[in-house]
Amino acid sequence: MYLRIIGKDLKRKKTMNIILLLFVILSAMFTASSVNNIVAVEGGLDHYFEEACMADYYILSHKSNGRDSVGELLENSENAKSYRKDDVIFTSEDNFKRGGKKLMEYHAVSMVQSLSGSDFHFFDSDNKIVEEAESGKMYIAGATAGKSDLKVGDKFILNIGEIKMEFEFAGVLKDALFGSEMIGNPRMLVSDEDFRKIANDEYVKQYNSGSIYYIETDDLSALQSETADAENIYLAIDNETVKLSYFMNMLVAVIILIVSVGLIVVSFVVLRFTIGFTIAEEFREIGVMKAIGLKNNSIRLLYLAKYFFIALTGAVIGYFLNIPFGEMLIKSVSENMVLENQNSAVIGIFCCIAVVLVILFFSWNCTGKIKKFSPIDAVRSGQTGERFRKKSMLHLGKTRSNSTAFLALNDVISQPKQFSIITFIFAICTVFVMVLSVTANTLSSEKMLKPLGITKSDAYFVDSKRITDVISGAKNVNETKQEISDILAENDMPATVYIEEWYNLSVMANGEKYKVNFVRCDDTETTDYTYTEGIAPMYENEIALTEVLAEKMGVKIGDTLIIGIDGEEKEFILTALFQSIMQTGNVGRFCQEFEIPNKLMTGAVAYQINFDDDPDEKTVFERIEKLKDIFDNNKNIHDTRGFINAITGVTDTLKSVRDLVLLISLIVIILIAVLMERSFISKEKSEIALMKAIGFKNGAIMAQHTGRFLISVIFAQIIAAGLCVPLLILLIDPIFSTMGATAGIEYQFNALEQFVIYPLIITATVVISTFLTAIYMNTIKASDTANIE
Amino acid sequence: MNTVLEIRDLCKTYIVNKRQNNVLRNVSFFVNEGEMIGVMGPSGSGKSTLLYTVSGMDKMTAGDVFFSGKNLSGMHENELAKMRLEDMGFIFQQMYMMKNLSVLDNIILPAVKSSKKKESNREIEQRGRELMKRLGIAEIADNDINEVSGGQLQRACICRSMINDPKIIFADEPTGSLNRTSSEEVMEELAKLNENGTTIMIVTHDVKVAAKCTRVLFIVDGNIKGEYNTDKEKTLREREFSLNNWLMEMGW
Repeated sequence: MYLRIIGKDLKRKKTMNIILLLFVILSAMFTASSVNNIVAVEGGLDHYFEEACMADYYILSHKSNGRDSVGELLENSENAKSYRKDDVIFTSEDNFKRGGKKLMEYHAVSMVQSLSGSDFHFFDSDNKIVEEAESGKMYIAGATAGKSDLKVGDKFILNIGEIKMEFEFAGVLKDALFGSEMIGNPRMLVSDEDFRKIANDEYVKQYNSGSIYYIETDDLSALQSETADAENIYLAIDNETVKLSYFMNMLVAVIILIVSVGLIVVSFVVLRFTIGFTIAEEFREIGVMKAIGLKNNSIRLLYLAKYFFIALTGAVIGYFLNIPFGEMLIKSVSENMVLENQNSAVIGIFCCIAVVLVILFFSWNCTGKIKKFSPIDAVRSGQTGERFRKKSMLHLGKTRSNSTAFLALNDVISQPKQFSIITFIFAICTVFVMVLSVTANTLSSEKMLKPLGITKSDAYFVDSKRITDVISGAKNVNETKQEISDILAENDMPATVYIEEWYNLSVMANGEKYKVNFVRCDDTETTDYTYTEGIAPMYENEIALTEVLAEKMGVKIGDTLIIGIDGEEKEFILTALFQSIMQTGNVGRFCQEFEIPNKLMTGAVAYQINFDDDPDEKTVFERIEKLKDIFDNNKNIHDTRGFINAITGVTDTLKSVRDLVLLISLIVIILIAVLMERSFISKEKSEIALMKAIGFKNGAIMAQHTGRFLISVIFAQIIAAGLCVPLLILLIDPIFSTMGATAGIEYQFNALEQFVIYPLIITATVVISTFLTAIYMNTIKASDTANIE
Repeated sequence: MNTVLEIRDLCKTYIVNKRQNNVLRNVSFFVNEGEMIGVMGPSGSGKSTLLYTVSGMDKMTAGDVFFSGKNLSGMHENELAKMRLEDMGFIFQQMYMMKNLSVLDNIILPAVKSSKKKESNREIEQRGRELMKRLGIAEIADNDINEVSGGQLQRACICRSMINDPKIIFADEPTGSLNRTSSEEVMEELAKLNENGTTIMIVTHDVKVAAKCTRVLFIVDGNIKGEYNTDKEKTLREREFSLNNWLMEMGW
């Protein structure tokens, strides 16, 4: 008999049951895909690093006249448990040409190495390990190639020393060590045979050969201390720092994770509401069942059976839908990481079972109300007369607004529970989009200059060729600056050219040695930069360190540190602390007065250009365009925003994620608006018929229903605007903090975008969805007042 | 005496599962201004359908309904809504009201919605309170609708039907859900309204209610089988008695 009752119920209350089924499908889909994504993101980097055969510590070094000082040191090291080595050839963007033009434009030093000769694993776009390259073919690993217009099969020339070889592009590979946006050194992977051909060139041997060491150790700090004095180290980095360098990618991943958690919350809140709502609608039947003598538990079991059937059906459908949905979410963060949504069947099934159980729990909980319903509820249609709480909060006679607006507002106020849930969901969707929009704006704004430790200039020229020349000792910094300056002057753009030089030096503090990246610049004052504590270094024996580094070393302002420079040990006083997200916060700053040999320079970010005639913004823009032609470099000459985009490298991805989240939010909003409005129409059929009977036009009732959602979404946006800053601090600040911006980030708001355009898009979506759904009330006629139970 | 409502050859057919159900068959009658006309008949005879069709709530299949000289059959949905709002009042068997509004707000809602009279909401509220006072329910004005008795609620529904001074009030079994005392009170109010000149068309099963009408139509299977004119000179009890006899003759 129970089955017959359930069958009849499912048929008779088709609309509400379908609405409930849709919410169950959504919940199962969101939960399964989100948990899968959380697992993928949470263990993502570890999984990727393990698959790639990463080590504990990495050293990238130049061979000086064929001498491998790092290798010699490691051979006799007590702290290096084992190590692997890949020989590399240092190259720059100028070494690769296609049709006489640069193959790709990138700012970092690149390396050519043999693919088959390496134990390190590179992955293709399907996350499969690629172990070999055919002779004459070249894979390019790292984010840069992925962003270029290179297509598999494209031919290009490698020209270095006496070598001139044609290669065919074989594809983009993922590189765990250098593939992050923050490190971003492209690795060109060729066959062993081709590599030997290039490596045997005398010029290459002299200036371009080097090695990457993958070192396993049980005592990282001892190993760092031991290798700190090794010569010609271009980069020394531990595994944790490499992980941190994926911060920008992880930022996106964490955002996906937050969105996933948000979706789970939204779906369960809606589910709880819908179950409560449908059971409340059943009072009459519950009363009748009680009247004919059914016990509370029998009635409860009847409803549980019904919800179980709906939950099971929804969970099965949701399980299958979670697969494409989860992939869509994770796709945006897995471009240069092996971060795949495994779509684990076990996780998916587990989540769907959890959804079914949660629904049963909600149902059991909500059916608790059955005890309160008495047979008299059936007779009185639920109006027992025992409720004295006033529903109507506003008074029509005391308002000046028209009746439609009044009714809409009064409904929202009179049913706070229902509309606060709708408001809450709209607020979550809005605030997600707002937070992402602010983060994306910040990451491409001038506000990032401060945490990057860079002063503002008119133009930024990321000239990897000249920087490589300085690092390899072919030129000195002043020569390269003068070259650029001369070219500018020749083209009627006299300017001051300066560069932040990077030096990787060993620092002795509290008996431990650390490798620290020091920055100095001839042409800026240390007072041009921002410090969180202390006074900017004013003399040549003064330095500043990041808060992260000072804490790691256990030093404070006023302490003396010993820095190994060109074989000598010099004492420096720590005078200030600052924050930097460069090199994941492993940064110190010398005073401009301090002289250091150019040959020790290990890197630089960009040549900064300040035009002498102080031109306006438009002229600067025109000049940058001109500079691109002069230097034949389209991608590496920027204005401030472009430069920050290039450095952070995640703005475009983040904008895609923001758009994806906006799309998901809009889908959720449409579903919520459509399903809620449809259930309201179903619930309020008698009121709609009554309003029509007493002369309300269809349009007025539709406007009233739409107005209720409009009020909700406006409230939601006020709440979202209020929550935006706290959520930025709560969710985004910690991510920047792990990168070294410990004192927080100054966010770049674009009021028009965050507080006008997106809210308007969301409002319009809600209004249109509700209004279109409200058209359904055309099927309710005034004469239905005679037929309503 | 002016004719408020004139019905000519009204037909209403429902098609359910490809089966045609002729609920009203060529019904013709008229209602004069100031009349209180009752419609009686067995269950399923088409009484309520007749009421909803002539009031423009439901569409007719064929025929004409003239309300104040205007033919409803050619009117747009919105025109019909405006007409119901401003010129008609409705009382239903179930005391349908907006659950989120107080009793007073439910009463004045049609007036606030209407542009018939240029009044402020405050003036409308005042008029609503006066109406409630007239019907003896002033004390429940600010109550929630489920804080009042059925009889009070039905009187509130009468107030709502009157708020726009309609030309006619349609009542569908207005006492059907009420106890005897409440029924009498409600009918008393409707009778008073009619005495004051309001035209009322009332569908009822109750002879006591019908006896208060000036004219009673008896409808069977969608046809008007007979028409009974009550004698105002007789007492109510006498009218009830003779109406009962007539109904028995009609096969009630």
